[in-house]
Amino acid sequence: MTLANALKGRVWLVTLAALIVLVIVNAYLQSNLFTPRVLKSNLTVFLPLVLIAVGQTYVILAGDIDLSVGAIVALVNVVTVTVIAGIGTEDAAAVLAGILAGLATGVACGLFNGFLVAALRLQPIVATFATGILFSGIALRVLPTAGLPVPAPYWRTYAGGLFALPVVLWIFIAVLIAVGILGARPFLRHLTAVGGHRAAAFQTGLAVTRVRIGGYVLAALFSAVASLCLTGETASGDPLMGGSLALGSVSAVVLGGTALSGGSGSAFGSVLGALVIGMIGNVIFFAGLPFEYQTLVKGVITLAALAGGVVIARR
Amino acid sequence: MTAALTARSVQKRFGAAVALSNAALTLERGEVHALVGANGCGKSTLSKIIAGTVQRDSGDIVVNGAPLVLSSPAEAEANGISLFYQELSLIPQMSVEDNIFLGREPRNGAGFVDRKALAKKADALLQRFAPVAGRGLNSKARVSDLSPDQRQIVEIVKVLARDPDVVIFDEATAALDHRQVELFFRIIGEMKDKGVSFLFISHRLAEVFAVCDRITVMRNGESVDDFVTAETDMDTVVRAMVGDIAHDLDPAPSTDFTSASARLVVQGARGQRLQDVSFSLRPGEILGLGGLQGQGQSILLQSLFGAEPLTGGRVLIEGRPVVVRTPRAAVRHGFGYVSGDRGRDSALQGRSIFENMAIAEWVAERRRLVWPGRLQARLSEIAQSLNTKYPSLDAPIDALSGGNQQKVFIARWLATNPVVLLLDDPTKGIDLAAKADFFRLVRNLAAAGAAVLFYSSEDAELIGLCHRVLVFNSGRIVAELERAELTSFNLTGAAYGSAA
Repeated sequence: MTLANALKGRVWLVTLAALIVLVIVNAYLQSNLFTPRVLKSNLTVFLPLVLIAVGQTYVILAGDIDLSVGAIVALVNVVTVTVIAGIGTEDAAAVLAGILAGLATGVACGLFNGFLVAALRLQPIVATFATGILFSGIALRVLPTAGLPVPAPYWRTYAGGLFALPVVLWIFIAVLIAVGILGARPFLRHLTAVGGHRAAAFQTGLAVTRVRIGGYVLAALFSAVASLCLTGETASGDPLMGGSLALGSVSAVVLGGTALSGGSGSAFGSVLGALVIGMIGNVIFFAGLPFEYQTLVKGVITLAALAGGVVIARR
Repeated sequence: MTAALTARSVQKRFGAAVALSNAALTLERGEVHALVGANGCGKSTLSKIIAGTVQRDSGDIVVNGAPLVLSSPAEAEANGISLFYQELSLIPQMSVEDNIFLGREPRNGAGFVDRKALAKKADALLQRFAPVAGRGLNSKARVSDLSPDQRQIVEIVKVLARDPDVVIFDEATAALDHRQVELFFRIIGEMKDKGVSFLFISHRLAEVFAVCDRITVMRNGESVDDFVTAETDMDTVVRAMVGDIAHDLDPAPSTDFTSASARLVVQGARGQRLQDVSFSLRPGEILGLGGLQGQGQSILLQSLFGAEPLTGGRVLIEGRPVVVRTPRAAVRHGFGYVSGDRGRDSALQGRSIFENMAIAEWVAERRRLVWPGRLQARLSEIAQSLNTKYPSLDAPIDALSGGNQQKVFIARWLATNPVVLLLDDPTKGIDLAAKADFFRLVRNLAAAGAAVLFYSSEDAELIGLCHRVLVFNSGRIVAELERAELTSFNLTGAAYGSAA
């Protein structure tokens, strides 16, 4: 029972073990995994899900859920490229203006979600499913078809390096620092309390509505940053971007040991969860499975990983 | 010097029900002030209004000479008022120290939580309870791993950590043993000397007399009396809670049951909130369960019906031990259960009256297929005896008023000929006429040989219907009142644990 005790409330340890196993398997299947170039390209692929999973964690900790994060990614992307194209110049100022517009769009989406769920008390699943459709609809209205390339400075910077390290790694490090800062703030405790026992949190005098809205704004903000990363990768606008990210982020959060019922878990765990999901895709790809089986096997492994964590945590 | 808190002519309605008609209270600085009264007298509502969780309709609340609105717990707290919650306000997944300082975390210069300071402060506060804390209560422990008494201690510490001027303790000692209570009272005494005022609500009159300086008695939403504890006695206080109204409506015929053998015997039943409950019940007998709300009466009925677990003890029907783990099993052993919470426990929402009436029989007789025509003929006979107007048996259950619904839910069991009928405060929110019909049905069932276990939060109902009443306090039976002893005075006295 000592093992089970040690794991109690630390499901992320299981996730970490799974990640290490996956890395070993991947290294065996793909001999050049540990070359800087491959590591960088892997990180580039994983980074958006890592970001969104971190944001989703804050919503789920508060006992809510946000299914609109994928649509926020699309909306932020088209707003950003449209603003940049509207300014018309290809310099850093235009890019910066686009990025700020994208981030503002994200925050607005989060406020809207939070308002519906926390202030109007709509069911989180249904409300954010609906706002997801709404945000997608707006994205299609802003940019009906994929296109509008972003200026070179944008994607060159994203794909490039800074102080001898790739920019994507700097972003990843920044995410970890942001998670650390948020974790040390009272706000995270309030979020956890609201998700753990909402009535008790209210009786304790916490501003429950404001805290829940805060969770949604954080989730949307992280999604907006993820969208900016994806934009750096694809270098163009796409109103259909990010379709599967919402449920992928929920899986990553649960894999990382955060309870869907709220009240316990950590964003660091979600980072691990997102990396595991990414690695599963890698391993399957390099195992040489026929294409038509890849999705099937991915589903089975994800299910096994989720079930494993839950079963161990339940003891 | 102004009083710490004054409440004047406070009124509050919940829909049509008047919870408070004229509540008043003066809490002096450095005083422990008891608020007592029977079920539904409004003491909890008044304390919640003072703590900001419930909004009053009218009246004044003056704190330190300034009239206040108190629209949220946060606002009450900002004015130095802290409420200890009967339903605990702890977050089970969080640690003890995080719970104690939730919403008021010490911060360092960067705005981060100062974990060291937080741990130090929490340890210092918990230290006061160290002699009685028991194993495993430390600042890092998760609240969900603690025992009920330890949680209650954490809850008390959480209140104390706020440095309040006014503390409302609503049943703060319910889960504590006597050593813990003694220490708790000593801490109250120390804080009182520093000028902190306490509003103390307890179902143990002995505690009220041990710790309180003054006592305000509430009855039917009104503050009716004020006593200085040192100048009064328990009988006087109980009499004030009961009032002068003698409401012995339609008393049940006292029947001699000693000859009949017991139908239901419960021996040493234990559960989450039950301690060593033993009694026996004979055919035709209506046995009341009395006491203040939430003392284990509902849990006992739900446990007998298999909806809550019993952790110890035996249940015998007609002398044979039975194990009931699900309501389904209970129905097949001949139990029937009518809950006061119709929406949650009884109604098949949106389904017809017919289906709502027939459901128990289907379960009891293990029917897989039914011929509605045949069943309908049988049920309509029963339905007629209900004295209920309804458009047709096919009308949805929601078309009926609460009282008429409740009659349908008891009729559900008439068709199964229950051997034991469990009534869990069944008349909550139903009108007088329906109530009278309901009681007539219960009496008929008993006369036909059913044994009835009847919990009511209204003493008048117990007096009117029961042959015998078991009075509960903190999950135990503290008194058994025979028909001849059934008076409001005795019931209230026993409920508060005064000599009975």
